[in-house]
Amino acid sequence: MSIEVYVIYGLAILLLLISFLKDKNKTKKGLMKAGKSFLKLMPVLIPLFLFVGILLAVITPAFISSILGEESGFLGYVIGMSVGSITFMSPFVAYPLGQELLLNGAAYPQVAGFLVTLMSVGLVYFAMESKFFNKKAAIYRNLISFLGAVVVVLVVLVVYS
Amino acid sequence: MMTFIKKNKFLVLSIILLIVLTIVDIRLTYTALENSGKQILSMLMIVPPIFVLIGLFDVWIPRETIITLMGEGSKGRGMILAFLLGAFSAGPTLIAFPLAMLMLKKGAKYSNVIFFLMVWSSLKLPIVFYQITTLGLQFSMIINVTMLIVFIISALLVDKIFTKEEKEQFVETANQYSK
Repeated sequence: MSIEVYVIYGLAILLLLISFLKDKNKTKKGLMKAGKSFLKLMPVLIPLFLFVGILLAVITPAFISSILGEESGFLGYVIGMSVGSITFMSPFVAYPLGQELLLNGAAYPQVAGFLVTLMSVGLVYFAMESKFFNKKAAIYRNLISFLGAVVVVLVVLVVYS
Repeated sequence: MMTFIKKNKFLVLSIILLIVLTIVDIRLTYTALENSGKQILSMLMIVPPIFVLIGLFDVWIPRETIITLMGEGSKGRGMILAFLLGAFSAGPTLIAFPLAMLMLKKGAKYSNVIFFLMVWSSLKLPIVFYQITTLGLQFSMIINVTMLIVFIISALLVDKIFTKEEKEQFVETANQYSK
């Protein structure tokens, strides 16, 4: 388990204690709200994470670096960015993966495109994001992030050539 | 039957994938299930304290505070705050969605909320040094700086792209979501 988990638990417990000492009723109300949104989200999240877990069994780092190699060219970008767009991965996980890919022989521009889409474009969660905001908002955020990835690739290409 | 599939498309997809994997190589099925188990467990570990924090935030922070800090009149300060909140937080991007809803409900401007979401997903200040040591200064800076510029521009364009009615609708949905 990573440090961030401990920090968040510590913070939640500390603030909960302070809140409880200050106002019992308000704290109760806050916890009820927390519980309700938790229960609302779980039926959506659990199948999603099941799906992502299965995908990750097929799409392993070795598999990804094999398609993102130096000679992979344009197809390497397309596949890398498509695979990266499937799901979200937090930067805490994505960057170590990026390093592993580079060490396994993947090329910088392809890895850059893959990493950026991996962190910021999550098509698996598109339906959920549309429900929270609306379709247009979900398209806008994902599209901008994808365009951002294209710009990053171009900059990397220029700088590293 | 159709509505069940529509409502549970990821469950159905997962089952189909698992069947295919079993036919191809049963060891892949085990790895897949182990992966899913790990994913779900780590999600179940990190989500409860975040929801407690969201709940407390909801009852303790008055709407007026958020309006002043991140609302319509907040200008650059609202954006800086949105950046800091996104960049210093931890947890999967999914968790940022409920938080974003709460910000909207409390009166934060939509452009600040979407900026917060974008920063959360891909710019993390606490690991910037780690990034530099593993990927090199140049490579990490290209990614971080380019994405920051793209995000700032797209946040500034929000008011041109979304109508007032659409933005009001977001707040309405947010209100319904965390009643």
